[in-house]
Amino acid sequence: MQLSTTGTAAPGEPAAAPPTARRGVARDGSRLRTADLGLRRLGLGLAGVVAVVLLLEIVVRVGLLPQAWFPPPSEIFPDFAGLVTTGELFVPLGQTLQGWVLGILAATVVAVPLGVLIGSLELAHRLTRFMLEFLRPIPPVALIPAAVLIFGSNLDMKVFLIAFGTFWPVLLQTVYGVHDVDPTARDTARSYGLAPRAVLLRVTLPSALPYIATGLRIASAIGLILAVTSEIVVGVPGIGVRITDAQSAGGAEALMYAWILAAGLLGWVLNGALQMAERRLLHWHPSFRPGGGR
Amino acid sequence: MLDVRDLTKTYDPAGTPAMADLTFTVGEREFVCIVGSSGCGKTTMLRCLSGLVAPTSGTVTLDGVPVDGPPKDMAFVFQDYSRSLLPWMTVAGNVGFPLPYKGLSKAQVAAATAEALAAVGLADRGDSYPWQLSGGMQQRVAIARALAYQPRILLMDEPFASVDAQTRADLEDLLLDIWRRYDITILFVTHDIDEAVYLAQRVLVLRRPAHVHEVVEIDLPAERDQLATKQLPRFGELRSHVLSSLRAPDPAVLPG
Repeated sequence: MQLSTTGTAAPGEPAAAPPTARRGVARDGSRLRTADLGLRRLGLGLAGVVAVVLLLEIVVRVGLLPQAWFPPPSEIFPDFAGLVTTGELFVPLGQTLQGWVLGILAATVVAVPLGVLIGSLELAHRLTRFMLEFLRPIPPVALIPAAVLIFGSNLDMKVFLIAFGTFWPVLLQTVYGVHDVDPTARDTARSYGLAPRAVLLRVTLPSALPYIATGLRIASAIGLILAVTSEIVVGVPGIGVRITDAQSAGGAEALMYAWILAAGLLGWVLNGALQMAERRLLHWHPSFRPGGGR
Repeated sequence: MLDVRDLTKTYDPAGTPAMADLTFTVGEREFVCIVGSSGCGKTTMLRCLSGLVAPTSGTVTLDGVPVDGPPKDMAFVFQDYSRSLLPWMTVAGNVGFPLPYKGLSKAQVAAATAEALAAVGLADRGDSYPWQLSGGMQQRVAIARALAYQPRILLMDEPFASVDAQTRADLEDLLLDIWRRYDITILFVTHDIDEAVYLAQRVLVLRRPAHVHEVVEIDLPAERDQLATKQLPRFGELRSHVLSSLRAPDPAVLPG
């Protein structure tokens, strides 16, 4: 899945299966093997993490990296555990998450309907094309000063920044998805007397959904970056503020890294949750079909 | 029941028409096949007949009512079943989803879906997804969807062109069986001459730009059989006749 800037980022392959293909036949043997493989993959992944952590520990302990700026993992993890057990973690985590959710929600609520409109009307497509091409490359962080002027250093500013940055991937993916709806599927619905609104709801939106989901996953990563950025740069409450606080406290480097770890884990969990939702909602799509995922 | 008169479609005003003065009629309960080589305007013709596209000139009337949009008494079976069936719906969902828009209640939809699936021999596959089925079974789902819509006329666009030969023969016999059991008229487009002669009561030979070059009455016994019918000398004669009609030089384009 490439990050879409110029081309489409359709997940997997087009929904059309080759006419002769027999897919998704449940084979119990292979399912068992898949479980085995999954376990093996998880084991290897964990082993990799442990190895890197160990390596880091050694590198810091023998002095290859200055311990003043790079506390060893054995100091970071206790600090992180402390954040969890004292509950100190959860308020900033919630604040960062709040900005993320509200920003992406605001972007989606506007971008999806607009994307459907642009994707289905040739005129709208042409009218907006140049404007989109111009607005999209603006780095969202370039808007921070303006956003602070308009909203102040608060949640509104953070939400606006995230909404602006995540608007584009969702919009463009929706446009691509609607553009890419199979004409045969649309003709089928039309030939059975479905009115345009019904065609939109029953055919166009479901078949654009995999694209929109990809857009949301791209947006998720961008949203977290912008949330933490606005916290660090502007000081809007959240994980980012705790990172700068720990940095300037002096002697709290391990705590700083513990907060960084928290931000990383948050991104990892969000991505996993989105992927899970995608797998459930799009179980019919070629890239999620049992046995047929290629 | 289906009356096509002087149907013309020109996409590019400066270019040649895709369809020119197409005229034919299909009677009640008739099984008519249309054969034409690829690029002769079959697709354009079907899109106009089904009301998906408006012709440049000419008229299509179904039971005396002019067709200006997809008619409620007509169902269309597309060649590309894998794209015509919606992958996010189950087989039963695919068969039933157009019916509420025709005004059927939930119970009626369920009943019509079950009956149509039984008619194509897929009564027990309603909960499967189309992509879990073989190509032949998928096309049977598409046929079931058309049947459940309870049309009076079925338009079929090379429906069996992308399945293997054995499956194709089975589907042909299934279709003949359905045609006999249901009160239905069938207009079947194919590029396969054998298939056209085997299925039809009448074969229309389509030439480019889409117009009826010749009408061939198929005077074979009504009961068709893949082996016996195709061994009849008359089958061979009709087959050659249609083939030569397709290939005959067009007087209009002969060098002057």
